[in-house]
Amino acid sequence: MSTDAVNTEPVEVNPVNQVRSTIYQLLSSLFAKEIDHKTLHDLTSEQAQNFWAQLGSESAFKADVNILVAELATLNTDKALLELAADYCGLFLVGTKFSASPYAGLYLDNKPTENGDEPLLFGEQHQQMTQFLKQSQLQVQSEFPEPADHLAVILAYVAHLCIHSDEAVQLSFIEANLTNWLSRFVDKVTEVDNGNFYQALARLTLSWVKSDAEWLASELN
Amino acid sequence: MRWLLNIWRTLTKPAKYLTLGTISLSAFLMGIIFWGGFHTALEATNTEEFCISCHGMESMPYQELKKTVHFSNSSGVRATCPDCHVPHAFGPKMARKLEASHDVYGWLFNTINTPEKYNAKRLEMASREWKRFDQNKSLACKNCHQYESMKWDSMSKLAQKQMKRAAETDQSCIDCHKGIAHTLPDMGTARAPELIAEVGRGVSGLQVGQTYFSALTKPLFFNDKTDVEAGTLNIATKVKILEVKGNRAKIGIDGWRKKIGAGRVIYYDFGLNILSAQLTKDAALEEGVIKTFEEKEDPMTGLIWQRVEADIWTDSDYLLSDLQPLWDYAQSTYDTSCSVCHTQPAPAHFDANTWPGMFQGMISFVNMDQDTQALVQKYLQEHSSTFDKSAH
Amino acid sequence: MNRRDFLKGLVGTSYVVLSGSSVLAPLNALAASGADASDGWLTTGSHMGAFKMKRKNGVISEVIPFDTDMYPTDMINGIKGLVYNESRIRYPMVRLDFLLKGHQSDTKQRGDFRFVRVTWDKALGLFKDSLDLIQTKYGPSGLHAGQTGWRATGQLHSCTSHMQRAVAMHGNFVKKVGDYSTGAGQTILPYVLGSTEVYAQGTSWSLILEHSKTIILWSNDPYKNLQVGWNAETHESYAYLAQLKEKVAKGEIRVISIDPVVSKTQQYLGCEHLYINPQTDVPFMLAIAHEMVEKNLLDNEFIEGYSLGFDKFLPYLQGQTDGVEKTPEWASKICGVSPEVIRDFAKVLTKDRTQILMGWCVQRQQHGEQPYWMSAVLATMIGQIGLPGGGISYGHHYSGIGVPSSGAAAPGAFPRNLDDGQKQLFDSTDFNGASSVIPVARWIDSILEPGKTIDANGSKITYPDIKMMVFSGNNPWNHHQDRNRMKEAFFKLECIVSIDMNWTAACRFSDIVLPACTTFERNDIDIYGSYANRGLLAMQKMVEPLFESLSDFEIFTRFAALLGEGKAQEYTRGMNEHQWLEMLYNDCKASNEGKFEMPSFEEFWKAGYVYFGEGKPWVRHQAFRDDPEINPLGTPSGLIEIFSRKIAHYEYDDCPGHPTWMEKVERSHGGPGSKKHPIWLQSCHPDKRLHSQMCESTEFRETYTVKGREPVYLNPEDAKKRGIKSGDIVRVFNDRGQLLAGAVVSDKFPQGIIRIQEGAWYGPVGKDGSKEGGAEIGALDSYGDPNTLTLDIGTSKLAQACSAYTCLVDYEKYQGKVPAVSSFSGPIEIAL
Repeated sequence: MSTDAVNTEPVEVNPVNQVRSTIYQLLSSLFAKEIDHKTLHDLTSEQAQNFWAQLGSESAFKADVNILVAELATLNTDKALLELAADYCGLFLVGTKFSASPYAGLYLDNKPTENGDEPLLFGEQHQQMTQFLKQSQLQVQSEFPEPADHLAVILAYVAHLCIHSDEAVQLSFIEANLTNWLSRFVDKVTEVDNGNFYQALARLTLSWVKSDAEWLASELN
Repeated sequence: MRWLLNIWRTLTKPAKYLTLGTISLSAFLMGIIFWGGFHTALEATNTEEFCISCHGMESMPYQELKKTVHFSNSSGVRATCPDCHVPHAFGPKMARKLEASHDVYGWLFNTINTPEKYNAKRLEMASREWKRFDQNKSLACKNCHQYESMKWDSMSKLAQKQMKRAAETDQSCIDCHKGIAHTLPDMGTARAPELIAEVGRGVSGLQVGQTYFSALTKPLFFNDKTDVEAGTLNIATKVKILEVKGNRAKIGIDGWRKKIGAGRVIYYDFGLNILSAQLTKDAALEEGVIKTFEEKEDPMTGLIWQRVEADIWTDSDYLLSDLQPLWDYAQSTYDTSCSVCHTQPAPAHFDANTWPGMFQGMISFVNMDQDTQALVQKYLQEHSSTFDKSAH
Repeated sequence: MNRRDFLKGLVGTSYVVLSGSSVLAPLNALAASGADASDGWLTTGSHMGAFKMKRKNGVISEVIPFDTDMYPTDMINGIKGLVYNESRIRYPMVRLDFLLKGHQSDTKQRGDFRFVRVTWDKALGLFKDSLDLIQTKYGPSGLHAGQTGWRATGQLHSCTSHMQRAVAMHGNFVKKVGDYSTGAGQTILPYVLGSTEVYAQGTSWSLILEHSKTIILWSNDPYKNLQVGWNAETHESYAYLAQLKEKVAKGEIRVISIDPVVSKTQQYLGCEHLYINPQTDVPFMLAIAHEMVEKNLLDNEFIEGYSLGFDKFLPYLQGQTDGVEKTPEWASKICGVSPEVIRDFAKVLTKDRTQILMGWCVQRQQHGEQPYWMSAVLATMIGQIGLPGGGISYGHHYSGIGVPSSGAAAPGAFPRNLDDGQKQLFDSTDFNGASSVIPVARWIDSILEPGKTIDANGSKITYPDIKMMVFSGNNPWNHHQDRNRMKEAFFKLECIVSIDMNWTAACRFSDIVLPACTTFERNDIDIYGSYANRGLLAMQKMVEPLFESLSDFEIFTRFAALLGEGKAQEYTRGMNEHQWLEMLYNDCKASNEGKFEMPSFEEFWKAGYVYFGEGKPWVRHQAFRDDPEINPLGTPSGLIEIFSRKIAHYEYDDCPGHPTWMEKVERSHGGPGSKKHPIWLQSCHPDKRLHSQMCESTEFRETYTVKGREPVYLNPEDAKKRGIKSGDIVRVFNDRGQLLAGAVVSDKFPQGIIRIQEGAWYGPVGKDGSKEGGAEIGALDSYGDPNTLTLDIGTSKLAQACSAYTCLVDYEKYQGKVPAVSSFSGPIEIAL
């Protein structure tokens, strides 16, 4: 069962790619918005516990998965959820270079133009991602009024590629649009996060993307 | 209020198709007699084609009408020239036909045959029409738009309020809705069309011994006949009627003047720079114009002031029996115009002699014709802390 | 475990994951949020002028000046950054502790604590609940929604009008009178010259260029300040300045800049400089007057016929009233201008046709009323008021004053006030015995000392007990003085709401923050040239509002809807954006009918503008000069009042009945306090911003900052003494506060003087530069906001205006831990 909400004509999907897609989709969702009661319920259900356990069985993911699971377990009051929402807000909704804005454009060097530097928000990376989406007959949801170089958009697009494109395309996209800035973003989150959840999520994302890229590379060999 | 007028223009549609009354043979004959037999068809003189064929009308007023809701609207019903301009009852219709001869003469003698000439005459012609509408409380409008059958619910709260107030007194529609079918005449920068639309053109039949208030800044004259101006009467100034002759009235203006220069300026009260009238040097020196009374020193300036009464002539129009409509208009203009950039200070925030300085210092940002400027300044002064002690 | 097995292991468990909430959607041309909207060039504008903007792939890609703008400002390069900068407020947000505890929240957390995103409904609901609570518990004196200022341009979307109309529909509130720019000037001049003068149209530049032989720029920097205007600026004044430059070069007009520093205008014109010690204009002026009397250089006939009270002023000038004769020798010791230069200057002023052009700086100091009054007295003594190219102006550096007005009627605007008969939710007008209107710069006093009664302009003001403030497009954490004092006041406020487009310090110190879109994300119309009224400008929407921001019109329509059935309709008068614009345009067209040709709205919108043509040259006060009896000034007497009995009768010790020199609480160059803090801080209007507008435009800001910080301009010797060179980080301090700024050493700045331009965004960090403690009293400002250091006192009992220019400081090379600049982030703690 595909969680690729926008996949209207699924090709024959191999279960492994489906899983990969799902994990990208999960990460995208967690960066896209704050954790609310429903998400919390989903993430702490019995099935989710199994999922986390399986994911944590990989040593590269283990530490951060454990933190996430432990943090999720503490979210048993409205106040705890709001505190986490405040962490999210401070990290991703209000910040600048001194917080951890989730926009690729802020972490990739910009080419200086004749009139000086171009603004980074809704800049070149946003345009590029918009083009990628367009090629795949996709766009950013209107309820998600963010630039297309938002981490959640890029992760969701990889989720889409996992199902709709071959491994070479996936790998080259990840390398050109994700691994080239993700570690800088993750460092920033780790540096400025007030709590533990988002820095663990960020590190887990990085480890996942790295290992996935390695796997894709090995598959291609 | 012009925005209201606009809403009205946008929202209002003729309530029903307007059927023409029976055309009388007499009217036709009148037409023939006056128009020299250009048309022979029975209905001709009361149809639009007839009007626009010779009233010098096609190029100007008809083209203007075509741009308005009275010509083109979603209901597909439209008003034709005679609907508004020819009374539906027999007697008045006859009278109107006689009146209309002006326009035909105008056309025959080339006084309105070009847009320039038409515009030059526009105010005169419009004034005649407005007067006619005023006399019968806009009966022609009310043939289609009745107060009783208005859709109150579809009006804005404010429109409702204004319209209900109008309905209570069966007010003439044209009081507020001038320019609804044709371009408003240029009434000159100093002639405040919106103000006049709001407060009217003054009472007819001035009573000697009664007091009135000027609705505009008005010229003063030496006597009942001459066109030689003797000064100006400021807007919203109280005057007493001493004598009426033809279309002139002799008025008495009470006030105080500063004993500087020729003493040509009459103010509202001792020590208050609220302008009532300004006289020419000749008028100020003319025997019998200014009566003088006691003198006092103004402690705030050290200037000597003198109580005076000026008796002088002015045209008998634009004199109102009630001051309040002027203040209402001034208040709403002040609140709207002076809040574009900042919160407008309450009138009682400053005293009467401070307001001219404050008001003049900001006036470059505001669109007001000179009459309205003078009115708003006077409104602020007469509602200042000098009179209203409730501030602060 | 190998990778494939690991992944296979996940197959069974991963289906739990989050159903159907992807941030992606199928491409839909119709739903494409702006990205596929038609690209191309559109017309718009701002305070910085009119421009053409190119939209490419749904994003603003290029901004170029309007065809008619011959002298565009380079601030135009910052426009894109205003829209696309990281300080954008993206979603409605509420301070977490306020969300949890409401009016009992810990207010000391404001400024560096935590926000959460909420929905618009939630945010507006909280806003309304707070207003309910304040009106119920304290009445209208508990709410101040009148602290307003410069807004973004546009007649329909003016943010202050929207906020005040909507909040007034809820209930009444405290308002302000006056403004920070010209508070003292606009209060004193009506007594003296009968109008505010500072905002009045002035003598046309063409007549000045034709008739003046000498032009005095008195603390006046038009070349810097004319870049921006209250409406879209036409920059036509620059054409006249260019002509003036030529005439100066040819020796046809002598221009003298009286200023402590070498101004941008002086550098441009290549004119003369007359140095004067800061805050000492009055002694200098008095000595000139003394010399004019001595040498009989004054116009007795003009004084006699057009003014009052010279006889009461003369004894003061000659020392009969206070035992101090105001001789050039006396003045020289205070103002630093030699007696010879003063004597000569009196001759220069009176020799030929002289136009005095006053700037606004000198009235933004303690006793700021005095230099303005005294300058009017000088102009009266010269006797050229009302002559072309003569007399005195207080506004030629502002919004194109001096460019003749076209005379056309300008468009109206969305109403700020309630409509007649509109019912309020809370209609109490009981201010608990306090004043409902307070002088603009005294609101912090009011919060700190509620119930206190002060003198102001002949009245008594009793401070209301303010518990809640609403700011819309207004950043008091820029324009008010003394940040640490502000913090104390803010601790006392229960609720603060800010509506803005970017995270100003005011937003960071708020409880509820609402994102408004920028000028370029909605349609509007503007007047082209505030005073010239050269035409109308279509402000065409470039892009849809970014993130979840909304136009002020939309924000407050939604707010009004919370006030009850039909209230949204009442608020908008049943018209949408397009209908309003069409109506405002058509009303304007009707007012101009027969005088100025205007096409239909559709044609206007397509063209992007309509021109009214040029106006006729005009002379200020000419009518008064022609006939002072019929055209009196707006003063109590109708004449120029050298002595004001009215002011004298207030019996204010700090503003007597005639212009008077009074020592300041702080004054450099030997004045009070100069031993401890010897440097005068000049916080003039910025060259690269409009007040604090555009400071957030990242890339443009980086063109002038030093090590990412606001520049502080230093005198070479002073800097050398402190071991500072250009590019160093400098700590500027006094007993009120401390800030970091980037050194620019320049010989344009004499000894004992530094300049930090106002409008630099406040970015507090811990006292010692650490990341904790930005909200505390005594915090170090990491970017360089001069109002961290300025003095928060009224100019006098008359105007009670701001006195930012009465400010002494010292500075040193910063040796401590260098904090990151925190001004331009959201309310997040700073990583070092």
